[in-house]
Amino acid sequence: MKRTQISAAVGAVAVLVLLLWWSRPTSPAAAIRAAERPATPVSVRLSAASAAADTPACTGVFVTHRLDFTTGTRVREIGTYLSNGAGVAANDLDGDGDLDLVFASVDGAGTILWNEGSLQFQPQELDDRFTRAVAVVDVDGDGNLDILFTHRTLEPISFWRNTGQGTAADERFVRAPLVGVDGYAYAMAWGDLDGDGDLDLVTGSYAAELKQYGIAAPAEDARAGLAWYEQRDGDFVRRLLDPQAETLSLALVDLDGDGHSEIWAANDFALRDQVWQRQGDGWKLLAPFAATAHSAMSTDWGDLANDGRLALFSTDMNPYDISPQTLAKWLPMMNEMGEHREANDPQVMANVLLLREDASAGAGVWQDEATARGVSASGWSWAGRFGDLDNDGLLDLYIANGMIAQDLFGYLPNQELVEENQAFRNRGGGSFAPAPTWQLGSTASGRGLVMADLDNDGDLDIVVNNLRNSAQLFENRLCGGRGLEVTLQWPAAANRFAIGAILLLHTDRGVQRRDVRASGGYLSGDPVRLHFGLPPAATLQRLEILWPDGATSQVDDLSAGAQLIVTREQ
Amino acid sequence: MQQSLPVERHTPDVSAALPVLRLLNPGRHTRIVLASLLFALTISALAVYLRWLPLWVATALVLLLMLPAGILKWRDDKAAYGATVMLLSILVSAQGLHTVEHFAQYTQYHTLYWTMRASNGLLSPANAEWVHFAWNWSILAAVLLLMRGGVRGVWVWLLLIVAGLHTIEHTYTFVRYQLVLAELRGLGVANIPAQGLPGIVGRDGWLARSEWTRNTWVCGLPGLTTAVRLDVHFWWNAIEMALILATAHVYLRRTPPFGKPATRAA
Repeated sequence: MKRTQISAAVGAVAVLVLLLWWSRPTSPAAAIRAAERPATPVSVRLSAASAAADTPACTGVFVTHRLDFTTGTRVREIGTYLSNGAGVAANDLDGDGDLDLVFASVDGAGTILWNEGSLQFQPQELDDRFTRAVAVVDVDGDGNLDILFTHRTLEPISFWRNTGQGTAADERFVRAPLVGVDGYAYAMAWGDLDGDGDLDLVTGSYAAELKQYGIAAPAEDARAGLAWYEQRDGDFVRRLLDPQAETLSLALVDLDGDGHSEIWAANDFALRDQVWQRQGDGWKLLAPFAATAHSAMSTDWGDLANDGRLALFSTDMNPYDISPQTLAKWLPMMNEMGEHREANDPQVMANVLLLREDASAGAGVWQDEATARGVSASGWSWAGRFGDLDNDGLLDLYIANGMIAQDLFGYLPNQELVEENQAFRNRGGGSFAPAPTWQLGSTASGRGLVMADLDNDGDLDIVVNNLRNSAQLFENRLCGGRGLEVTLQWPAAANRFAIGAILLLHTDRGVQRRDVRASGGYLSGDPVRLHFGLPPAATLQRLEILWPDGATSQVDDLSAGAQLIVTREQ
Repeated sequence: MQQSLPVERHTPDVSAALPVLRLLNPGRHTRIVLASLLFALTISALAVYLRWLPLWVATALVLLLMLPAGILKWRDDKAAYGATVMLLSILVSAQGLHTVEHFAQYTQYHTLYWTMRASNGLLSPANAEWVHFAWNWSILAAVLLLMRGGVRGVWVWLLLIVAGLHTIEHTYTFVRYQLVLAELRGLGVANIPAQGLPGIVGRDGWLARSEWTRNTWVCGLPGLTTAVRLDVHFWWNAIEMALILATAHVYLRRTPPFGKPATRAA
C-alpha cells in the first residue's frame, strides 16, 4: 500500500473519530450545565425536616376528601370568563413542617387552609376578593413565604406579606403594596430573571376578559400585555414585552440549558405562544416550537425518561374520547367558536408535548409528540401537571377538566360540560397510559391544581380548585415506592428558597430532574419542597444542585423516605 | 436542378403512448362538450356572482349540465369498445373531477389559509358525509365491475385494496356521523353540521386514539395519526386517482384499438 493511501486512511479514521466525539451523547447533568457561567462549587448544610408520617393504609387508589372551600357558587350563572375558575397554591406558610393551602376565588375571598396535620385543615379567609391566580413566594427575601393573587377584575396583583408572627391569617399576613406592579394580570410567574439575586415577576393579561370590563382595545392600554417587572430594592420596574396577551399560563424554564430561564407565555385563542430569551438587558422573541396548543391553558415541564431530555407540556381543548356521546356534547359549542388560520401557524387544537429533536441541550426544534405518547387529548383541560404519583421514579401526568358556561353550553344540563379529570401513568420512556384505577376521575369541574405531600408520608397528594364544587384533596394511597423530598434554602440571598434552581437526583435508574418554582400549571403555586419518587429497589447515588446563580453543590448523604432541608452556606 | 427528397416528419403519437388521453377524447362530441361546459360555467358563475346560488349548488349545476354530453360520449365508448372500457372512461372522468374537488379543498386550506370549516371545496358543503359515503361505495363497485369485465393486473388489485380501505374509512365516518346526529337530537340540538369528524386515520382518528398504536411505529408514519381530515382525504383520492390511471393505462395498452397508433383521418 502506498504511503499516501495509508495517510488518507488514517486521516479518514481521525475525522470519523472526531465526528463521533462531537456527536457523543451528553449526560443530563452535562447538558444542563452547558452554561456560559462557570459552575462554582458551594458547600451546603443538611438538616432533616419533620419526621415523615406513617404511611397510611395502602389501597392502591387515591382517596377523595372534600375541602372546606368552594368558588363559583355565589353567582347565579357562570359565563365566560368567570368559567375559567381559579388556582391553588401549597407551601409551608407558618414553618410547622406541614404544607398549607391557599385558594383563589373568582366570586369570594381568597382563603388559606391551614394544615393541622392528618389532613385536617382550618380555613381562614383573607380580605381579598375575586382572585384568579395564586402564588406563595418569598417576595421580599425575609425568609417568610408571602401570598400573591392576580384578580379577575382590573385590580392589580395583591401582595400579602408574611410577617412571620402569629397564627391566624389576619395576624400573620398583612396586605402590603407591591410598588410598581400596577398592570392587569391574569397569570404570573416569579424568578430571578436578571440574575441580581432577587425575584422578578412576569405577568400576562387576558385581553378577552379585559374587553368584558369595557377595555375595547386592550393592546392599546398601557397596563395590559405581557410584562416583566424587575425588582430593584423592593420596588418593581415594569417593562412591556408585548402589548398583546391572552395569557393563561406562564412558565420560566431554561429551554436551551444555558443556565438562564426563558419566559414561555401560553396564550389562549389564536394569539400564538411566545418564548422570550434574555439577551443583555433586553429580551428577544424566539419561535422554537414546531407546534403549540391553540388555546393553551396550562404549562409544565419535566424529564419524562430521566435521560436529560426536557419535555414541555401544554393543555388545550380536545375531547378525551371520540365516542358519539362525547362528540355530540362538544359539537354545538365548537361550531360557535371562531376559527383562525394564517401562514406558518404552529397552533393545533390539542394538547402538545414538545421534545427537542436533538436530546443535547440547545439544539434542534421542539417537536410535538403528544399523539405518539398518548396525551394529545384529555378533554376541556385546564391544569395539566407532571408529578411522580406512584413513586416509581417517573413523572406521571394529571389533568383537571370540565367547563361551565351558560353562553357556550346552554344546551347541556346546568350549562356544564361534565368531564372526568384524567390521570396518566408514565409507562417508561415518557409515553403515557390512562390510569383509571387510581380513581382520580373526579367530575367536579377542576381548574387549578397543585401536587404536594400534604400528609408528609412521602408521596404526592393532589389538590384541585373546582368551579361550582367544593375543592378536593386526593390523598395518595398508591404506596408504589418511597419518596425523597428536598427544600433548598439560601439565607444569603434575597431569593431565599432558590426559585429557579435545578435539582438532579442521580440514581441507578437514571437522573431525575426537578426545578424549584413558585408558580406552575394553571393559575397555581408550587411548594418549594420538591418531591422525587423512588422505586423500591432503586439506589440513591447523589443529589446535584444547580443554584440560580450558576453555583453547584452536591449531596451524597441521601436516604429514601427522608425530608431534607439543604441550606447553602455561601 | 436538384430534386429534394420528400422528408418524412416523425411526430410522436401521444395518444398511443398515453391511451387514457385517447379514451377521454370526446371525439365527435367535442363541440357539444365544450358548448355545455361554456354554458354551464357561464350560468353558474353568474348565479354565484349575483348570489342566486351557493357555490355548491352552482357546481352541481355545472355537473348536471355537462351530464348529457358525457352520456353521449360514454354511449359511443360502449358502442366502440364495449362496456368495460366505457366504465373505465366514466371512472377516470368522475374520479378526476372528484380529485379536483379535493384539490380545491387542499388549496383553500394550505394556500389560501381558509379555516378548516370553510375549506369545503366546491361541492362538499352539500353534505360531505353522504356524498363521500355514496361516492366511495360507487367507486368500489365500479372497480369490482372492471375486474369482472376482464381488467387484471397488479394495479387493479392495488386499486381494489385502496378503494376498499377508503370505503371502510368513509363507512366508519358515515356511521359515526349518524350516531352523532342521533346524540344531538337527544340533546335537543338541531341544525348542527356534524360532518368532517375524524375517521380511522389522521389526527384524532381511531388509530391516533388507540392504545394499540401508542408509542409504536404507526405513530411515526407521516400523517397517519397527525394529518387533518382534509389532508387525509386529499391523499386518499390522489393515490386512488393515480391507481385508476395506472390501471386504465395498462388495460388500454392491451386493448385494441388503444394499443395501436391512432389511424389518421383521411
